[in-house]
Amino acid sequence: MGIINRRAFLKSSGAITAVSAASLSGCATVGANVPKVVIVGGGYGGATAAKYIKMWGPSIEVTLIERNTEFVSCPLSNLVLGGSQTMKDITISYDALQKKYGVKLIRGEAIAVDAEKKVVRLAGGDSIAFDRVIVSPGVDFMFDAIAGLNNADAQAKILHAWKAGAQTVALRKQLEVMPDGGVFAISIPEAPFRCPPGPYERACQVATYFKQQKPKSKVLILDANMDIVSKPGLFKKAFAEMYAGMIEYRSSSKLIDVDVRTMTAKLEFDDVKADVLNVLPPMKAGGIANPFITANKRWCEINWLTYEAKNNPGVHLLGDALQIAPLMPKSGHMANAHGKACAAAVVALLTGEQPNTSPTLTNTCYSFVSADKVVHVASVHKYDEKDKTMKTVPGSGGVSSGASELEAQYGMTWARNIWADVLG
Amino acid sequence: MKSILTTLAVAVLATTATQIFAQEPVKAASPIATPAMAVTPTPPPGPAFAAPNLSPSGVRSLAANCAACHGTNGNSAGGAIPGLAGADKEYLIAQMKLFKDGKRVATLMHQISKGYSDAEVSALADYFAAQKK
Repeated sequence: MGIINRRAFLKSSGAITAVSAASLSGCATVGANVPKVVIVGGGYGGATAAKYIKMWGPSIEVTLIERNTEFVSCPLSNLVLGGSQTMKDITISYDALQKKYGVKLIRGEAIAVDAEKKVVRLAGGDSIAFDRVIVSPGVDFMFDAIAGLNNADAQAKILHAWKAGAQTVALRKQLEVMPDGGVFAISIPEAPFRCPPGPYERACQVATYFKQQKPKSKVLILDANMDIVSKPGLFKKAFAEMYAGMIEYRSSSKLIDVDVRTMTAKLEFDDVKADVLNVLPPMKAGGIANPFITANKRWCEINWLTYEAKNNPGVHLLGDALQIAPLMPKSGHMANAHGKACAAAVVALLTGEQPNTSPTLTNTCYSFVSADKVVHVASVHKYDEKDKTMKTVPGSGGVSSGASELEAQYGMTWARNIWADVLG
Repeated sequence: MKSILTTLAVAVLATTATQIFAQEPVKAASPIATPAMAVTPTPPPGPAFAAPNLSPSGVRSLAANCAACHGTNGNSAGGAIPGLAGADKEYLIAQMKLFKDGKRVATLMHQISKGYSDAEVSALADYFAAQKK
């Protein structure tokens, strides 16, 4: 099925046709009411949930609302900055979700989830009805925390490139036009933020490009945190051994403001000028999840057995928008794992089964410290009945013994397989 | 030896965590406790993991974790990471044990394998052996 006509879909969604009723296979609600799931956001979390609900509950009608025409992967997007991957390499179509799995795709902007009326409202004025809704909105940037960056002009010059797409291309252009001998500075907010190892991988990738093309240039990491947030030993080794004299790491360097005219990062005790200034603003759950934010005015707490919002059991949430469990990263891999656990719970709830009482989540984050050397961090998380959260299994998980080319092969294969698992 | 002990500990934790922690206060209150035992610092409580769910849908969800790297239902897109679909059950169990015991060289499977109990590994091996390539 191609992009559906919204009005035609709305008309047909009220009265389910004989054709769709006939396609039911062993569902408890055989007859007039085909259960309807609406998913807001087609990233690593939402797209995975859409595919797996159709795999595990084929009779359920699944509608995915996504603003972008294609899926662009954040994992590997730093390699576009480094020059070893192109945007085409990290861009994937939503076609298989529709053609192979029968997911209905609406390309548009969801503006509100009305949990009481059980509809998702779209920017165009239409409403999509649901029995269960999954909100997988990713993150929004808190530009208002950085006064000088809180306008469109500044945001066009000081990029985040923390959602892969046009900003990835634009940041690469900024690096290309920067003269040799220039400074690329990246500002990292206090944790938690999307992709904990990502900023340090980006520093390595920009340095890879500089080593090849602009060897007199510098990479300056301005980290609000007291230390590197993920794989600190491995990144410090990479900085020292592969990029000595090129990458400079400064801890406890929280960004207070920016001056876009002079490309200056204003820190608590210092001002730093850069030729290319890359600011990752503090982050929060994507705006459509605002009614379900219960932690620090930024993140959504959930029931880890069903992925239902703590403050609204009819609404499921997953991915980077969640208030994470201990040692759980906001990663694409983890969102993919959330997507499957949430899909299983939604299928169970819609078919009158008991949701899984013992969910397990696994995560692996590969980081490319050069074009062909990679390090990883891995973890396994299980449900703790007493504390009602996910905890890492003692003795499991860990990081690479060192950067290697073998892990670069695994990292690339991981990307191919997880993209297929999300979308193919 | 250490890795075997860790493996056993993980397996025990995953299956009988609630019983273990339920027993601890009983021991401390035992009348045969000596003064030396009384001053032994109490270790922080470990996780109280739910009993594993090895029902068909529980195993399906467990196996879905493997899919991120090994492909949906164990069908790898190719490259450096092998597929699991249609593999021999005993082979899969043996490999996971070698990873856990540190006897098969690995970049990360020695770390991931320790997150799964022997009963879970056996159920996963059954699941993947039955998947179509």
